[in-house]
Amino acid sequence: MAIGDYPAEYNPKVHGPYDPARFYGTPDTPFSQLKLGEVTEWVGRRNKSPKAIAGLFSRAYWRWSHKYVQPKRTTVAPLIHILAGSMLFFYTINYGKFVHHRNYKYH
Amino acid sequence: MLSRLALRSELFRVAPVCASVVRTTQTKPEVACTNESIIVPGFPKPNGLPQPNPFDGPERDLVNFPRMVRLEEPAKTRYLFVPEEWFEVFYKKTGVTGPYVLAAGITTYVLSKEIWVVEHEFPYVLATIGLFYIGWKKFGASLANVLDKEIDEYEASCNASRKGEIDGLTESIENQKKEIWRTEAQKHVIQAKRENVAIQLEAIYRERALQAYNQVKRRLDYQLDLANLTRTVQQRHMVNWIIENVLKSLTNEQEKQSFKKCMVDLQALAAKA
Repeated sequence: MAIGDYPAEYNPKVHGPYDPARFYGTPDTPFSQLKLGEVTEWVGRRNKSPKAIAGLFSRAYWRWSHKYVQPKRTTVAPLIHILAGSMLFFYTINYGKFVHHRNYKYH
Repeated sequence: MLSRLALRSELFRVAPVCASVVRTTQTKPEVACTNESIIVPGFPKPNGLPQPNPFDGPERDLVNFPRMVRLEEPAKTRYLFVPEEWFEVFYKKTGVTGPYVLAAGITTYVLSKEIWVVEHEFPYVLATIGLFYIGWKKFGASLANVLDKEIDEYEASCNASRKGEIDGLTESIENQKKEIWRTEAQKHVIQAKRENVAIQLEAIYRERALQAYNQVKRRLDYQLDLANLTRTVQQRHMVNWIIENVLKSLTNEQEKQSFKKCMVDLQALAAKA
């Protein structure tokens, strides 16, 4: 399995056409249904290889894309998402410079 | 000179498909000639033959992995871009105002602690929001209409040939059904024709029966007339013959006596009168 291949768990005979937004491994308990004590254990079970993390972001991107970009009668929402996201991103990377423009010494 | 070199070199040779058989000098590693598709692993190459849909095999799990469908409408949002689900998460715990209170609280906190520094680029945020608001108010509806119409037209043009073919086939099916319905009328037509022939046969039968009756009657009438005539002729002949013979047998004496008798009778009648 090299870069650009399908995930090892994906079997076209069973799963049909590949959905890039979908996780084809055996699903764990969703994060939203966890109790607070189970979180560390849950994080310990995760596959934290760079490939898996890249897959996570890829799936998130495709899920967002299927939801907001790909529909037939899409709205301006994805554009605003990108705009707001990039504003936030550039604010964060330039935060060290913005800090010097603070007007008050004590907060 | 250079062109000759080029001709001799490997560059201008037309490589055969599975080169290892023809070529004698092997310069590159041999290409694997397996019959497996590189596009859908685990499936054979089409090789120009019609192949069954690889995704419609018996192992296909359509319950947990249904076919993907492109959404018609995107997911619901509020204020143009905030996903509706976020508000739903808050609605169960905090009611309607919860997310707004949280957003306002975070904004206030971030501003007051100067995590979000109000510097010379801060107004751009407000300007962007204002621009989007104005754009949405002024052009939103009309632009959405135009784009919707365009995408509908595009989809219609994509489906036009397929739809035309389906329509044509449906129409031909309708025509075939109509033809079937029309041929059903042939049954009635044949029935009518049969009845017509039966009526003609009946008419001819009656005509001939009448003819036979008339002929028989004519012959019988002839026989009757003949019999009657014979009898009359015979009778007349007999009467004539008898009268003749009687008159022949009468003598003069007998005539005188009868004449006298007649005279006596007449006198008797005259005396009475």
